[in-house]
Amino acid sequence: MFLEIIDVFISGLINGSVYALMAVGLTLVYGVTKAFNFAYGSFYNLGGYFAWILLIPLGVIGGYFSVFFIAIPFFFIVGYLLEKVLISPLRKYDDWEMKVMMLTLGLSLFMDFGYQAIFGPRIKSLPGIIEGTAQIGEVVLFQQDIVIFIFSISGMLCFGWVLNNTRTGMAVQAVAQNPAGAQIVGIPKDFIFAATFAISTIMVGFGGILLCQKNFVDPMGSTDIMIKAWVITAFGGMGSIRGSLYAAFILGILEAFVGWYFGMIHVQIATLTLLLVTLAIRPRGLMGRE
Amino acid sequence: MSLKHMILILCGFYCVMGIMPLFFGDTDYIMNILIMILIWAVVASCWDVIMGFAGIFSFGQVAFYVIGAYSSAILSVSLDIPPVFSIMMAGVITGLFGVLVGLPCLRLAGPYVALVTFAVHMTLVPFLRGPLGRAIGSGGSQGILTIPPIKLFGLAFSSEQLVPFFYLTFSLTIICTLVLVLVIKSYWGTAFLALKDSENFAASLGISAFKYKLMVFALTSFITGLFGALYAHYVGMLSTKMLSMDVFTILMIMMVIGGIGKYPGVVVGAVITVTLSQLLAPLGMYRPLIMGAIVVVLVLFLRDGIISPIIGLLSSRRKVGLVEKSLKVSSKGK
Repeated sequence: MFLEIIDVFISGLINGSVYALMAVGLTLVYGVTKAFNFAYGSFYNLGGYFAWILLIPLGVIGGYFSVFFIAIPFFFIVGYLLEKVLISPLRKYDDWEMKVMMLTLGLSLFMDFGYQAIFGPRIKSLPGIIEGTAQIGEVVLFQQDIVIFIFSISGMLCFGWVLNNTRTGMAVQAVAQNPAGAQIVGIPKDFIFAATFAISTIMVGFGGILLCQKNFVDPMGSTDIMIKAWVITAFGGMGSIRGSLYAAFILGILEAFVGWYFGMIHVQIATLTLLLVTLAIRPRGLMGRE
Repeated sequence: MSLKHMILILCGFYCVMGIMPLFFGDTDYIMNILIMILIWAVVASCWDVIMGFAGIFSFGQVAFYVIGAYSSAILSVSLDIPPVFSIMMAGVITGLFGVLVGLPCLRLAGPYVALVTFAVHMTLVPFLRGPLGRAIGSGGSQGILTIPPIKLFGLAFSSEQLVPFFYLTFSLTIICTLVLVLVIKSYWGTAFLALKDSENFAASLGISAFKYKLMVFALTSFITGLFGALYAHYVGMLSTKMLSMDVFTILMIMMVIGGIGKYPGVVVGAVITVTLSQLLAPLGMYRPLIMGAIVVVLVLFLRDGIISPIIGLLSSRRKVGLVEKSLKVSSKGK
């Protein structure tokens, strides 16, 4: 019983780490550009399919290392172009927030059924990064899980470093605090908007590559992921990076325990109940600013 | 939009719809499309009232529709309540549910409301499929297959005879449309608009955000639930497929085509969208693909929906008429 609880806790921790990676990307986009991306889950699946294409039909040399290496520029370009072509033209309207929501919802439908048309409705499985298990005391861990955990944590640390120590990162923060003021001091606002969107696309794409090894690539699984990422960002407070970090781990662990104790069908109900209760008590989430 | 244009467009729409069965009464395919247009036009109008007028980013419209459909179906199947009453009760249940969803939304900022209402939508699928839903009679993933048709004055309105059902829906649609127009053009509608533009300023003028936001949730979910229930008794079976993104997108296309907050616009949007969706039905899984692409393109290029050009046409013609008249008067004077 005790061992079982530890196992569940660890699986929650690993899921939580990947959720954190994805949710931080989402909260960044909302915090900086105020755009509400409903197609986020579809980019997660794009990550899964991207890895699948490279590994199975193409069989690139270097396995996952080349996948990650190619993924960074690929997702950056995809994200950057999407922002430039689809979202930035909407900014001139008064009700652009609503329009962005509608557009990304349409985009998500388009992408999901696009995957189904191209790759077929069946789920695809990805090979693991490494096979084998490790044993600490009596707890048996999959090495794959350890790698996923290390990758997502280091991805987040990397992101935090970029945000706090590079010129671009500081420009992103400046735009988030005051777009007009940032523009006055010479920060190219439009570029920052697009770059932020692109960075968040990289993060969710990585999340897709990492998590799809465990959970398969499902063309219809994107709404589930999108809801999870959204719940985490709202739960933690939109625009608050630390809040969504905590929220991701809380939710990952809650999910693991509810799934283990009550069955998988109750997971979504439990997460959404948690969200509703949190928002009823704290309308801006755990760490949200007024 | 002025009341005159609103009434002009709505009258035109309902007059055309009202005489359609005279021509197509024998063709079930077209009658089905017409009935769906009537149902969706009202559901989309409700969404426009809550989103375009009251400015609440509610993404739970399909959820309310399904709640109405399921509650009426469960009431009439499990408890043997006659459909006429179960539809009314479904409307009330959905209205209460709308208030329940609206309560936490009162304190939330725009995108949070979208998330919470969409979360309600997403929770409905596992709820209706799971053991909890099965306990209240939702039929699990199979759905409810034997929903009795509506019986009124000894007449059965079902999918067997489409023309009587069409006129039943038609009369209900007209009543609900009248209610919506009255609400939009009354003190309430102005209060909604004021709250949308500036909640603080509206509050300083004595408009209670609490009261009016809950009111709009209650009203739109009541009407939506009513039509969901009507739909349930029309098709005679329900499943959680109604909650797919596909349906949600269709409703959204109506809004985008019609223009958000341009009230009779969504009605025109409903006509175009339902017809289009029926025409695309043979394409199978490419239909949602195309629908998604349509949303993206329309949001990008159709700024205010197609209703604005129509209104522009109506008013410019009137202006031309006035100019001509005044010219005639002036020439007579000479």
